[in-house]
Amino acid sequence: MQTVDFLFDYIAVETFWTILLIIHGLLAVALLGALTHQAMAVAMPVRYAGNDSFVTRFRAVLGPRYADAICVLWIITFMFGAWIYIKYRIHIRVPIEQQGYWKTLGVFELKEHLTTFGIGLLPIYWYLWMNPKHPAYDNARKWVTVFLAATCWYAFLIGHIVNNVRGYAS
Amino acid sequence: MSSALASSTKFRTFAVVFAIAMAVIYVVSELVRLPLFSYHPDNDRFDFGWVSARKDEGPAMHWYGWVATSLIAATVLGLLATLLPERVTSKIPLSLTWIVPVLLTLFLIYSLSFFWRW
Repeated sequence: MQTVDFLFDYIAVETFWTILLIIHGLLAVALLGALTHQAMAVAMPVRYAGNDSFVTRFRAVLGPRYADAICVLWIITFMFGAWIYIKYRIHIRVPIEQQGYWKTLGVFELKEHLTTFGIGLLPIYWYLWMNPKHPAYDNARKWVTVFLAATCWYAFLIGHIVNNVRGYAS
Repeated sequence: MSSALASSTKFRTFAVVFAIAMAVIYVVSELVRLPLFSYHPDNDRFDFGWVSARKDEGPAMHWYGWVATSLIAATVLGLLATLLPERVTSKIPLSLTWIVPVLLTLFLIYSLSFFWRW
């Protein structure tokens, strides 16, 4: 933390952590959008042209084009999450424990675990998407992507809930 | 570089083993308290392995240590797997890469039962 101490001459400590949280949230939004498009495309592929509904267009994206961005976004979002986790542990979690919101803490613990599983899946996820025409990879590609998308949605929503229970500026 | 990796069977082997090992080792290191290090955010101190919070020194954080343990161990296992012959590694089912995390997620939900109380 000493490396960013000079910032506190210009902004309040709470403002600094809130900015980091917002960056983490914005990165998560980008990741969520990309992963949801890709998961829809791979789980419910468009098999015929002609239906021009919103849902059809939503899932009619080229999945492989998202893979690089999703890997980079997952890693950066994870790193920002790991950074603000320090502040969470001292200033957010302790008061939540004192207030007895155990389920809130539990679902956040699960978020930590699942996003770490996601880090482990990134190399195989990337490999599977870099070989989109390999039929033997279709099933694994679909379910790895769906798992990552479900994890991302879970992490995003739980992050919001915890922030609502006690945000950084509380 | 990226197209070479995408067509490499050795990278495929690494990625499959890494995905499975990362999830398994992470859960095991959490269950048996095997973080590579513990971090004490109040005084910015690191300790090797599992160290509990000390009185009047705030909480101890182990998640970073669990991530480090599983990343390093899964990388080593993944690299070792690339040394095996392809006829062996090609038999590792790809589906394990997502089935193992899904099953371990269910296990983790159960293991967090301390928190599921009113």
